[in-house]
Amino acid sequence: MSRLAEIQQQFMQYLLSDGSDTQHGHIQSVMKANVSEQAGISANDRLQIYANAYRIRLKETIETDHQLLGLYLGDDLFDKMAADYTRQYPSSNKSLRQFCDGLPKFLQQDAFFKQHPIIADLARFERRLLNAFDAADCARASFSDLQAISPELWPNCCLRFHPSVQIFTCNSNAVEAWQALKIDTAPPTPDYQSSRAWLLWRGELRLTEFVSLTTEQHALLLGFIQGNNFADQCEQMLQWHDEQSAPMMVLQTMQTWFQRGLIRAVVSK
Amino acid sequence: MPNTRITEDFLGFGLGLRTDHFEHILQHQPDIDWFEVLSENYLVAGGKPRYYLEAIAEQYPVVMHGVSMSIGSSDPLDMDYLKALKKLSNDIQPKWISDHICWTSIHGVNSHDLLPLPYTEETVKHVAERVRIVQDFLGRRILLENVSSYLSYQDSTMDEWDFLSQVAEAADCLVLLDINNIYVSARNHHFNPLDYLKKIDPRRVQQFHLAGHSDFGDYVIDTHDHDVPASVWTLYQAALERFGAVSTMIERDANIPQLPALYNELLEAKHIAQITLPDDPALARSQFGTRSLDDLGKFISANHASPQKVRA
Repeated sequence: MSRLAEIQQQFMQYLLSDGSDTQHGHIQSVMKANVSEQAGISANDRLQIYANAYRIRLKETIETDHQLLGLYLGDDLFDKMAADYTRQYPSSNKSLRQFCDGLPKFLQQDAFFKQHPIIADLARFERRLLNAFDAADCARASFSDLQAISPELWPNCCLRFHPSVQIFTCNSNAVEAWQALKIDTAPPTPDYQSSRAWLLWRGELRLTEFVSLTTEQHALLLGFIQGNNFADQCEQMLQWHDEQSAPMMVLQTMQTWFQRGLIRAVVSK
Repeated sequence: MPNTRITEDFLGFGLGLRTDHFEHILQHQPDIDWFEVLSENYLVAGGKPRYYLEAIAEQYPVVMHGVSMSIGSSDPLDMDYLKALKKLSNDIQPKWISDHICWTSIHGVNSHDLLPLPYTEETVKHVAERVRIVQDFLGRRILLENVSSYLSYQDSTMDEWDFLSQVAEAADCLVLLDINNIYVSARNHHFNPLDYLKKIDPRRVQQFHLAGHSDFGDYVIDTHDHDVPASVWTLYQAALERFGAVSTMIERDANIPQLPALYNELLEAKHIAQITLPDDPALARSQFGTRSLDDLGKFISANHASPQKVRA
């Protein structure tokens, strides 16, 4: 190993290590031996500036990306989450935009936080909002694109969705808690009685939006996203509707999707 | 003043493009000469940041400034990152691309900080070789910026300014001189910042950064959350005397004021340049501040410009 690589490895070990690390003292003294003593402040203090900056920067990133999760947790629990996550999930990305990608998984697996599954759901929902925010752009189709296709071809039509479109499912009232916090009100008590589904997307005005999905709306959207055609989805809707009303329900829902800018193309096979 | 600068692009006076100012810029189209964009903020597929960037890049010259190239790391160069950088540069056509003479990651772990390098012959060789690879890949010279630092390595065998000069010469790259960083490091390492300026080859200096910092007495932290202080204006004047008219911008990353406040601060930079280099024809090409010429007097304090030359 080159001397440069050795110094860099020791510096990174120093940044990643903290008081909870049994090797912390040793790692500190190894790194300190690389640093010159200068007037003003000690080598230890000079190193500490970098250690502080490392933790503050990553904590600020979590605060920025997960503002309402932070409100939900309160300062003490947020600090615990930030410290534990930063310790267990060092950044391996070029951009801080991805630093918190592992946060939902951490919250699902951490012995303390997993006792309250709504916390991981909140984090996962906020990641989805961010994904919708900076997903790729593309042109959007309108209902007239479907109308331009001969009706006898409609049964075989499939839909291609805007890259920002996402479905969020959870078994808690995390989104309701998020919404309450967003308007500065107290979140409801955690409720794990039923599963919930939400549709997220970025509209024409580049605003991130979301709406709740009923079970049938969820099934309809999921089927189209998975590549099913119009006929497949009409058939699936027979679980909830009769033969006359199922196609109407599918068409009306598709019309809403076109209006919301969810669909980028209609593919006639 | 150098008359043999390696490239002749004097862009004038610019600001760092920040999300807080997107709407203001598109609505009011201030006569700021150019914007510097943080590359990593736009390495995303789409959405608002890319929309605003592309709209602004259509109306203003932009330069790309990165923080994650990790040019001094002993890890292999991240070609995926460089490809993304090249794609962004194809999309927005920046006047130039810069990053820092530092390292940020090792073994794939990113510190997200601009960590100092040991100033040795080995490091000069290592960094210069990587800069050449990057420049070949991007098809253009890049600018390397001096970072502020808080520690020195036992291994260092040369001063920072010699290190930067040697890398720039060996790699044939350009220099982004951060005036605030020179000041911050000078305070932390007890050197004369004018010595730094004296040793940098004026032909390679393509851009200046100005910024504020936090002064804790025994040490100074580069925080970019304050106005440019008097000490940095004074050093800027000395830099102008040594390097002539160089594209200059103000970096503000925290505690970001409304755009008009930064505009006024940038007027101060232009005014100092004008009184320091009264005969420099490049300055006359800058349109910045001319639209509000009638109001210029009330904005400019000129308190920070010395009537005496600050010899670098």
